[in-house]
Amino acid sequence: MRLAARAGVWILPPLFSLAVYWPGLWAWFQQDDFAWLGLHLSIHEPSDFWRAMFAPMAQGTIRPLSERAFFLTFHALFGLDALPFRVAVFATQCVNLALLLSIVRRMTGSRGAALVAAIVWAANPALGVPMSWTSSYNQILCATFLLGAFRCWLQYVDSGQRRWYVAQAAIFVAGFGALEINAVYPALVAAHVACCARSRWRAALPLFVVSAAYGLLRTSVVEPAVAGPYVMHFDAELPVTLGRYWFAVLGASRLDELPAVAPWRTWTDGAAWLLCGAIAGFVATRLWRRDWPAAIGVLWFGALIAPVLPLRDHFSDYYLTLPALGLALVAGWAWSSARRTGARAAVLALAGIYVTLSAPLGRAIADYNRDRSDAVRNLVLGVARAHELHPGKTILLSGVGTDLFWSGVFDKPFRILGVNDVWLAPGSEENIGRHPELGEVGDFVFPAGPALRVLAREKAVVYAAGGDRLRNVTPTWHKLALQRWKPELARRVDAGNEAFSDQLGPGWYPIEGGYRWMSARAVVWLAGPTGGGQKLRIAGFCPAAQLSNGLVRLTIRADGESIGTATLETPDAPFENSFPLPATLTGREKVEFVLDVDRAFVPPGDGRQLGAAFGIISIR
Amino acid sequence: MRRLTLSRGAFIALILVLCLAGCRRKGRLSVETVEEGDPQLVSMIHAADPRAAIQLVRGFYDVEQNSWRWTMGKFTVTLRPPAGAAHKGAALELKFSLPDAVIDNVKAVRLTGSINGVAMDGESYQKAGEHLYSRDVPASSLGGEAVTVDFALDKFLSAGMVEQRELGIVMTTVGLIPK
Repeated sequence: MRLAARAGVWILPPLFSLAVYWPGLWAWFQQDDFAWLGLHLSIHEPSDFWRAMFAPMAQGTIRPLSERAFFLTFHALFGLDALPFRVAVFATQCVNLALLLSIVRRMTGSRGAALVAAIVWAANPALGVPMSWTSSYNQILCATFLLGAFRCWLQYVDSGQRRWYVAQAAIFVAGFGALEINAVYPALVAAHVACCARSRWRAALPLFVVSAAYGLLRTSVVEPAVAGPYVMHFDAELPVTLGRYWFAVLGASRLDELPAVAPWRTWTDGAAWLLCGAIAGFVATRLWRRDWPAAIGVLWFGALIAPVLPLRDHFSDYYLTLPALGLALVAGWAWSSARRTGARAAVLALAGIYVTLSAPLGRAIADYNRDRSDAVRNLVLGVARAHELHPGKTILLSGVGTDLFWSGVFDKPFRILGVNDVWLAPGSEENIGRHPELGEVGDFVFPAGPALRVLAREKAVVYAAGGDRLRNVTPTWHKLALQRWKPELARRVDAGNEAFSDQLGPGWYPIEGGYRWMSARAVVWLAGPTGGGQKLRIAGFCPAAQLSNGLVRLTIRADGESIGTATLETPDAPFENSFPLPATLTGREKVEFVLDVDRAFVPPGDGRQLGAAFGIISIR
Repeated sequence: MRRLTLSRGAFIALILVLCLAGCRRKGRLSVETVEEGDPQLVSMIHAADPRAAIQLVRGFYDVEQNSWRWTMGKFTVTLRPPAGAAHKGAALELKFSLPDAVIDNVKAVRLTGSINGVAMDGESYQKAGEHLYSRDVPASSLGGEAVTVDFALDKFLSAGMVEQRELGIVMTTVGLIPK
């Protein structure tokens, strides 16, 4: 019986976690997942691999283990089968729960306290996102490194053996490959030293040196954000943000933005106040009695949430995944401190209220992400099937709404399957909510005029999203489109796409790898701007060979009038320039843009005079 | 020691089961598409019917509860005139509901419509609940294979009032009924 109870302590938290986040096990990919799944496309030679692994990406993050290596390896092994990815996340979380059990057991001497702590952490709704969205695996893996290192630290404190100190230091350093928040590990150790092991304070100091070195290294290679939600604000809002996170970790959060979660809001708010009062009372009472370890949980929460507090405009519930460990420690310590039956009943009741309200929130988030990713799966794999059925044709998607666009189109998942000529059907942008901080919906929409032309030539198919499967609606959509639009010129041309060749005049070579070279002079026709203040935008690529004899100047004329000159000066890099357009061009059905380079080059063995390689040319 | 091995062994077994479940073969993923040939436009659109979604031109959000869609302040559909409508005319019917959240904020809503640019009389609604906007459409407006119907609300929940989306009414069906 005692054996079963002991085994239950180990098994119950993982089973509980599996039960709560079960839908997350079956979730597919969405959003940022596709950026990481497509990482292998940027690797063409060995040096690319190192860049892919360690160059700052996505808000300047460098997470080689939890993002780069994880996605590269699993994609190489399993392709777009999401289940192995999800199993890895769940298995890692099982390890985390075992480490937490072990830590709390060691600190309190109580299996019951360990079980309470593990269940409290597993139930926290902040885990809903990492347990159902693969891109946030960094939170789960970072917990593994933090808890693993801390468990070794406890062994070192107990035994004094240097090998445990070295082991915790090694795990700590490796943890920087998972998430930047790993840098607060020395503060977690310091909290333990201050509350439980003051004689070991010298051993904690080198850990701070490591974190400081990491901080210096990171600031030297990563530019801080100057605009958008990732700008750091060190102002009077910090305590306000801290308060929001504190209430969120207790269950009262802005998760009511998810329709499935909204009905719980009233209950979670009330419970959060109750739990807040109980925790404050417990910690204050224990500290009054000089029971210092009771403060560790609160200190851990503060240390683990501190790095994201300056992100005032990017409040994210899943940032609480790690700070929720502090709440778990508080709960474990409360259980171990409650000697009398009545006190234990009170702890159990509070933990019960918390779990009863929190676990359904976590489940709702997992349900939401599973359903959302299912829709993305139907879209992405449906497009792949459409490409098989209609090879070589442009695929236009109608019926893509706001959520499906931002979760399943914006991060360009189709390129991972080798399907590049996929666009939103004209008019789609009218049904998609804007998020200018993320990007422009219009960049994904195929212009109406070229759409009518490629459909007339049977070079495109239209599929409607919505429902379980994509529906081929080409003839019907074409009929409706003929009523709605004229085959006029587009204001946006992709020179690297055959569908836009009607708008390219003399001076262009055939398409090569998504780009198209111009000779020394080339002509492109666009519909005129719709209003004042619009600009001509050009984007292309500048190979190093093009600059072998010096900079290249590109001059542009619009209907005979010069609108500016761009200088191509960065080798082997994309270029993008914009030119203000004269108001006189507004409303014209057709504007002729003539592009001139001052010096074309002839690649050895090619024979062509190459001016510049272009992708998108547009008026915005 | 034996007890320790058993309890940890059970934990490791759980992880192994998870891992084995994940080790499926690569390349088995596929989703079929529906290749309909030449589907016809419909005269009556149900909000949740994926075959008719293509006729919801603009101003509609995704299907919710597999039965209805929120509209924006302006929304447009394309409808096929029913048989004989070019001679006898038809009735335009829009079934929708006004949730409390809308009425509480805007007090009253006036809905107007037009077919191929020809305006129809509007109607005001002051109560939450289900409503029917119905108007006779003359035969002269129903020629051709399809007609475009535009709707507009004088008041709606602008983005940010209740949620991030601009919200108008909750549409369940819209269509042309033969006379």
